Amino acid sequence: MTLLVSKNVTKRFGGLEALKDINLEVKEQAIHSVIGPNGAGKTTFFNCVTGFYNPEVGEILLDGRNITGLSPDRVTKLGIARTYQNIRLFKNMTVVENILVGMHSLLKSGIIGSALRDPRTRKEEGEALEEARRLLRFLGLGGKGDLMAKNLPYGDQRRLELARALASKPKLLLLDEPTAGMNPSETQSMMNLIHRLRDELGTTILLIEHQMRVVMGISELITVLDYGAKIAEGTPKEIQNNPKVIEAYLGRGSAQQQVSASSSFDTASPTPSAT
Amino acid sequence: MQTKAPSSWQQAIQWGLIGGGVAVLLALIGMVDAFSKRFIVANAFTMGQVLFLAPLLILSYSAIGRIAAKSPIISVLAGMLSGLMGGAVLGVLVIIGNTLNIRPMFRNASPDLFKELAFNQGATGGVLSLLLVGLVIGAIAAGVFLLPKRLRSAVIQAAIWVLLVGLIRDLIITIVAQWVEKANAFPAWAQWAKAIILLLSGLFNKTIFAASGIKPVSAIILFIFLGALQFWRSGIPRQAPPRLALNKPEQQRRRLLTLAGAAILFILLPPILGIFFAEILDNVGLYILMGLGLNIVVGFAGLLDLGYVAFYAIGAYTMAVLTSPELGFFNLTYWQALPFALIASVMAGVILGLPVLKMRGDYLAIVTLGFGEIVRLLALSDWLRPWLGGTQGIQQIAQPHIGAKVLASQQDLYYLFLVGIAIVAFFAWRLKDSRIGRAWMALREDEDVATAMGINNVATKLLAFASGALFSGLAGTIFAAKLTSVYPHSMNFLVSINVLSLIIIGGMGSIPGVFVGALVLIGAPDLLREFAEYRYLAYGALLVVMMLTRPEGLWPEERRRLELHEAEPEAIEPVPETEAVPARQ
Repeated sequence: MTLLVSKNVTKRFGGLEALKDINLEVKEQAIHSVIGPNGAGKTTFFNCVTGFYNPEVGEILLDGRNITGLSPDRVTKLGIARTYQNIRLFKNMTVVENILVGMHSLLKSGIIGSALRDPRTRKEEGEALEEARRLLRFLGLGGKGDLMAKNLPYGDQRRLELARALASKPKLLLLDEPTAGMNPSETQSMMNLIHRLRDELGTTILLIEHQMRVVMGISELITVLDYGAKIAEGTPKEIQNNPKVIEAYLGRGSAQQQVSASSSFDTASPTPSAT
Repeated sequence: MQTKAPSSWQQAIQWGLIGGGVAVLLALIGMVDAFSKRFIVANAFTMGQVLFLAPLLILSYSAIGRIAAKSPIISVLAGMLSGLMGGAVLGVLVIIGNTLNIRPMFRNASPDLFKELAFNQGATGGVLSLLLVGLVIGAIAAGVFLLPKRLRSAVIQAAIWVLLVGLIRDLIITIVAQWVEKANAFPAWAQWAKAIILLLSGLFNKTIFAASGIKPVSAIILFIFLGALQFWRSGIPRQAPPRLALNKPEQQRRRLLTLAGAAILFILLPPILGIFFAEILDNVGLYILMGLGLNIVVGFAGLLDLGYVAFYAIGAYTMAVLTSPELGFFNLTYWQALPFALIASVMAGVILGLPVLKMRGDYLAIVTLGFGEIVRLLALSDWLRPWLGGTQGIQQIAQPHIGAKVLASQQDLYYLFLVGIAIVAFFAWRLKDSRIGRAWMALREDEDVATAMGINNVATKLLAFASGALFSGLAGTIFAAKLTSVYPHSMNFLVSINVLSLIIIGGMGSIPGVFVGALVLIGAPDLLREFAEYRYLAYGALLVVMMLTRPEGLWPEERRRLELHEAEPEAIEPVPETEAVPARQ
């Protein structure tokens, strides 16, 4: 079953074609990676899927439904959630509040209910809080619910961002460099977590990643972008030996060289958290 | 020029000169002279003297703090040097004032002023006294600085309280006189209450206060008493909540008790304070009502609205048009017209909201500013004169009534404001901790991410604008009913600025902060009539000082406090789950 389909998606910024005719299919319950050198258009593609950009050409289907041109909040309601390359938490809200904002689209209380706090609203809020705590425990953040998000250590902030995205119960989770700036042990536990998300929650995962160890380790399918165009797609094994991919990463002439599976040709530098 | 940090002495001189400069400024704009007849301590010193000596004291104190000398002797010497410098600057002003006529340049540089500055002595004696007083003040600043921390804060607070009591002497006397008047009419069984009031009156009139200011002996006793009280209070260990804990049951109970106490106090205020204060209370109430509304827009949702007066104007004018027989369109009663006025305000909120949805920060501020001016100019225009009265405004606006009783007196309207404030504060408080409140907060923090979380930014922002407009419109209708007339010139830009300032001073996003801000910015200047002329000067100075020293406001929201002052180390320590999560069913 295919969950997400991107058909001939093209996005232009003035004269620059950031995405050229991208065709991509994400299978349900897959772990699918998008890789490519810096500026290849990976994040632009994510922005098109989540509704932040409206592609000039092509369409994006979720579960067979056309979501091209919908506003980001509608897209989220239909079941897509994302995290960001540089962590973007609500820094001055508590950890639990961050999760509760993530649940926004699942909650229903309106302005009157909020003001009068009727039994239905109380019940909903109580259940939401319970669910938030449960989610935090699932991600290993139990007991930190009342801290300000900005006071969490870096690794926990990444986890919280993931928890916030999961709070909307998405069918498809887009992760933009989930291991950026992490040390090897943190990276390993993030990889385990991504596996658990798919296996235990049944979430389909589409991720952008620079660390080849991660990409080759967890992906079932890899799509490679370069200069806005799709240049290859396949299993980790196929991609590792694809001369076009090696050329895109290392330049012409390097294509003949053997590239080992464990080497990472582009490790993302630790991203300082945005102020 | 050396590039190393200035030495202690240089700093002391520098701060002393700044202190003197501030004192000279206050003197030349006329504040010192305006307050020269108001004694704080009878026959000892006046508010005018406080105004030109306090800067020397405060800046000497900061100089000592900056230098942070190891030896107390150096601290004392630095303080005295700093005070001396300040005194010298004032001395120069006195010499200039006595030799040249600088009045053409400085209107307030009158001979009276220089007499005041020279402690009623000649030029030479005055300058010498100023230098000596400067030395003493510097020494006092150093003395206070060298006290142990707990004692120091007790001394400073007691001094401020004595100053305040001296300042409001007239008000206390007026209030007590009113009580005495009322007590005379007490029935026989309440004679004991009368006796207490007479006793109090005697205490205030004869023992504590002189004809102007506090009696010297009483001032000293009051200072010691308040200082001791403060010292004792600061000894009680207080558990500061380092983390944000929302909706803890015990916290809610305490909050309910506080609320009940506040409600009783507010209900009893007019009879306690008397008629003289009703006008001031009404003014404060009006601004609290508007402040609560703007607090939703600016404090909760982070949308800087500088044209807030527009909704107030629309509420007031709709009420006027619908009820005034002068225009003769509808002649509705206040209560009949109220829903229409509120609907009109909300619609205006949405109409303003729609075009500015994409704007943020300063762009939004400018557009809303323009919107406020458009509304005022429309009300003023000849074009709409047949309907809105142009410069003449609209008179004979209906006043609200309950049964046959018309709420016309200022005390009646106070209760109307009180009911309005109670409703609005309740709404604001409930909304803050709800799905909607969280959505506003998230939009304020990061709009893109908030929309990616499924928050509809259009609807959520419009909701903030509409709620703010609704509450402002409500304030406008009560304002119109209070004056029974509206004029375009009472809808000017300064109203918006006042409301915004009171929110900032009170604490952005804090509901109690709105009350505190309104009392400080609107209530206090009305109480001290001499201040009226310097109102906006005081606003500006207060805003600058607040932003530098206490940007979170006087009664900050807990979140803002944590945001602006980096979290205490304990806040980072995670606690076991069982402690953080109270059992819930």
